[in-house]
Amino acid sequence: MKSRFALLVVGAFALLPAHAFAGEVKIIANSTVKATQISADELKKVFLLQTHFLKDGTYVEPVLRQSGTAHEAFLKEFIDLNDEALRTYYGTQVFTGKASMPRSFRSDTEYVAYIAKTKGAIGYVSMEAATEGVKTLEVMPLANRTERVLLRRVEPIYPKALQPLHLSGTVRLEVTISAKGAVEKIRVLGGNPFMAESAVSAVQQWVYSAGRSRTTVNATIAFDPR
Amino acid sequence: MRRRIVGLGIVCICLYTGQITLQAQEFKLFDRTVQFHGFASQGFVYTNDNNWLTMNTSQGSAAFTDFGLNVSTQLTDKLRVGAQVYDRNLGQLGQYHPSLDWAVVDYRFKSWFGVRGGKVKTTLGLYNDTQDLDFLRTFALLPQSVYATDLRDATIAHTGGDIYGTISLKRYLGDLSYTVYAGHRSDSIYSGYPYLISQYTINLSSYGGLQYGGDLRWTTPLKGLLIGASRIDEDITAKGSGVSFYNPSAGVVPYYEYSKAEWTNQFYGDYVRGKWRVDAEYRRYLHNQIVWNNTSQTIVDTRGWYVSGTYRLTKRLGLGAYYSRYTVTNAFSGGLATFNPNEPDTSLPGGHIYDKVVTGRIDLNRFWNVKVEGHFMDGYADSAYPDGFYPQVNPNGLQPNTNALVLKTSVNF
Repeated sequence: MKSRFALLVVGAFALLPAHAFAGEVKIIANSTVKATQISADELKKVFLLQTHFLKDGTYVEPVLRQSGTAHEAFLKEFIDLNDEALRTYYGTQVFTGKASMPRSFRSDTEYVAYIAKTKGAIGYVSMEAATEGVKTLEVMPLANRTERVLLRRVEPIYPKALQPLHLSGTVRLEVTISAKGAVEKIRVLGGNPFMAESAVSAVQQWVYSAGRSRTTVNATIAFDPR
Repeated sequence: MRRRIVGLGIVCICLYTGQITLQAQEFKLFDRTVQFHGFASQGFVYTNDNNWLTMNTSQGSAAFTDFGLNVSTQLTDKLRVGAQVYDRNLGQLGQYHPSLDWAVVDYRFKSWFGVRGGKVKTTLGLYNDTQDLDFLRTFALLPQSVYATDLRDATIAHTGGDIYGTISLKRYLGDLSYTVYAGHRSDSIYSGYPYLISQYTINLSSYGGLQYGGDLRWTTPLKGLLIGASRIDEDITAKGSGVSFYNPSAGVVPYYEYSKAEWTNQFYGDYVRGKWRVDAEYRRYLHNQIVWNNTSQTIVDTRGWYVSGTYRLTKRLGLGAYYSRYTVTNAFSGGLATFNPNEPDTSLPGGHIYDKVVTGRIDLNRFWNVKVEGHFMDGYADSAYPDGFYPQVNPNGLQPNTNALVLKTSVNF
């Protein structure tokens, strides 16, 4: 009885709105793509047919979905165009002789299979999608000399006490990064207090790119009971 | 003509019922993927008074058809080739004489540097190179003050080469895209200018010449805003035959004319936010020609601008409107001055066309759309260079105002 009551109390406090961490899609590529990371700027140029090469010289071929949540999320997050505007843009390129139309697919299975077998193919799927046979690329934010790029991310462990409640939640942290890229200090700014310890424990293991000096950034850690 | 309309109608019905699925078609050739795409459009125009764009629009005219087909392939990682053929009929123009629209060898060294050679679409303003592609825009007719469809040939393409690229600027300053080109322009003898001067017994056998210029556009840090400028310089010659106005008794004699100065400046801006798009462009075109075998000079100075807005109401319905202003002045010297007074007053109907336009576009599916458009024009701009209203199809003279209804359907794959 007492434990059930305790769980109810924890649940009541833990009922905080969930915020999805930035990134509803992940970028996938054929194994011939050597890079493990791609900048948001490069990704946009590739899908706007302005280049067929990454900075490391690898040839890439953009492949699109014809519709769907992942497609809409990708366009919104990385291309700044909706589907109609992108199709109009591709039309101007194709019908004026400036580019060829990228391949597009309706089915998830066909889409991933094509990327897996095609040299240089690069595409996008939802975070939960199966990605057998392809590699995932980490997307770096737009180039900025003062920005610290997260090179190694460790996911937090969902608190055992909250598992019966199946609650989602977030924790907001202020993270101080040394010049070398290590996490020096973490301060909890807000969010679900029952998830804070787990969030801090994970972020302490993160590694950032080196910078000129110590930098402070904010991070929001999301917890999903699934 | 009736068979063409019936044929297009059958295609449209099949598209709507799904009997034909239009996708980018491709096939393998020597282990290379070759893509082919196409488009077609059919229009109908009715005007309450003057006949417009060489069509018999006061009775209603469907002489407003065009179509194109292209193939392309990526030969290596950096090298691409392709070509497109195009055909049109617009009243007395075009007359279904197919032409090579573009044929390009394109080598992109880097995103900031590439070269193209062959017959290349000319980059001028927002819509010069896509003016034939009805399916890409809301409006049935682009603002005629800047994109005169009867003068398409004057700017659509050049046979030569381009250097182009996109440069990312530092620290969130956006991107700069540039194009620099040079080549030869060759107008069809079924285009607006040869048709206009045919009223003076002149029949041109060739019209074209050197064309060079550039375009610079800035994708600004303000999301959705693009601004730019273009310039073309030309050196045009025309050859043909005609009956000389200063010596008619000599009968038909050889005719030639050439450019003393011929250039276009264009400035533009494009802003896209959500379902809204707002465009504005200004073009000034100077046509200073020595005509009639060195006996006369005509100077036509045109200035046109427009502001347009479009809104995507639903996935299938788009609305648009624009205000377009076109003014023209004429000056003559030499023998022609005896017959043609200078026309500097743009406030007269013969000196301008102001056009107010509203449009609705319905997308029946991804490949097929229908448009309904109304034009309310003040003026008819009568000059020594085509302005949309031709004396040959308006033998009783021109009325000061014209209202037009344009219906258009287009398909693409």
